Amino acid sequence: MPQRYQMTRAAELESLSVFRDFISDCCTSSNVPKEAVFELKLAVDEACTNIIEHGYKGMDPGSIILSFRVEPDRVLVQITDFGHIFEPASAPKPDIEAPLEDRPLGGLGLFLIYQTMDNIDYQTSEDGNTLTFTKYIKRESES
Amino acid sequence: MFKRLRVNTEPKKIGPDLGEISISQLIGDASLPVTIRALNSLPENAKLRLYRALIPVQVLAGFDINPRTWKNLEKIQQVKLDAEQGSDKVKIHAWYGDDPQNEFFYLELGDNQYSGIDLNFLIVNNPISQKFRTDYDDEGIETLFGTVRRNLPEEVKAMQAGLAPGQIREGLRCSNIVFTHVETFLTMMAHHAFFLEPLTYVSAWIFEKRGFAYSKGHQLMDTIHKEFQPGGELHKALDGSTPFRQPDQWQTVRGRAWAIHDGILQVLDKKWDGLKMIKQVGRHAGVSTFPDAEY
Repeated sequence: MPQRYQMTRAAELESLSVFRDFISDCCTSSNVPKEAVFELKLAVDEACTNIIEHGYKGMDPGSIILSFRVEPDRVLVQITDFGHIFEPASAPKPDIEAPLEDRPLGGLGLFLIYQTMDNIDYQTSEDGNTLTFTKYIKRESES
Repeated sequence: MFKRLRVNTEPKKIGPDLGEISISQLIGDASLPVTIRALNSLPENAKLRLYRALIPVQVLAGFDINPRTWKNLEKIQQVKLDAEQGSDKVKIHAWYGDDPQNEFFYLELGDNQYSGIDLNFLIVNNPISQKFRTDYDDEGIETLFGTVRRNLPEEVKAMQAGLAPGQIREGLRCSNIVFTHVETFLTMMAHHAFFLEPLTYVSAWIFEKRGFAYSKGHQLMDTIHKEFQPGGELHKALDGSTPFRQPDQWQTVRGRAWAIHDGILQVLDKKWDGLKMIKQVGRHAGVSTFPDAEY
């Protein structure tokens, strides 16, 4: 049976550390390898920051629902919000070759998610926007 | 750079907005949502068969109302369905006794502009409990749940009797089963979610317990909780200046709700307005903006 976890918090910056701790706790109790935990926290952090800064921009922020499912070979993360539709495909790709001083602030969030996660899916419908990503993992006993 | 990215920015398929529904549509793709407007185009008896599911049999049984005929033991009609052809709303009223004004159940669902469903109203009162005239002011003008006018003497009495703002009678404490029925009905109609605007802080707290999340206003609820803590601005504003701002009111959901109804959010330069909640079918969001709350 996969282990399932869920947490809902307001879309505000204070929630980010709560989500990070939540992921740590879930992963620890499910024996997820530490490297994967780091990347999962990074990806969730970036995705939620996007929702807070762009998804609910101009609105009294609503909820972010973070769901987490740990299976033997992978972790599935689902992040749901009810803000503006955010289109990952239309986000500009960052120029990671440019000198640091020439790079705009931000813009690396999606890049980091795509670099660290495996399957990524974004759906919008009447019941909200849902970003789903998968991280394949190798248990320490298998390596 | 992008690995196996799949993006769908278009909302999922929506029901045909033809203003009416045919048998061929009903037996077609069962994942297509059906609008209230389309249901309202059905013949009266067909509508009745479908909409009957919205009112829990347990609620009707408590008043000896037959859930199939909607009549009481004296064969007198006690429930009315209002679902006119061409309308995008359905309303169900149930009353106790001879007077249809003596409602104990009122539910209103409507299509919204996003192909979804709004729960516009839900009132479930105990009709044999004491009634408070908080719905009319002393000139006999409707207060619209105390949102546009207030009947302060009656509100004080209602608060002292344990009611929440907006209530004229105590509730039947069956919102859980009503929401289960609404959700089951909307699943039959292939909807993913439904929306509502909480009238009061108490309503929002109850809806959280029933699994709703916020599409607007979650941060406001967090702020309210934080500022009602000792040292917070709302806590300080519970200064006894009105009957609705007594110092111990921060400790309970109802106490906070009456203070908010009384306009206490002004000290934060905010008002109780614009909150919107969503219930995703089959999912409990687990929101709790007032942990370990006492009602």
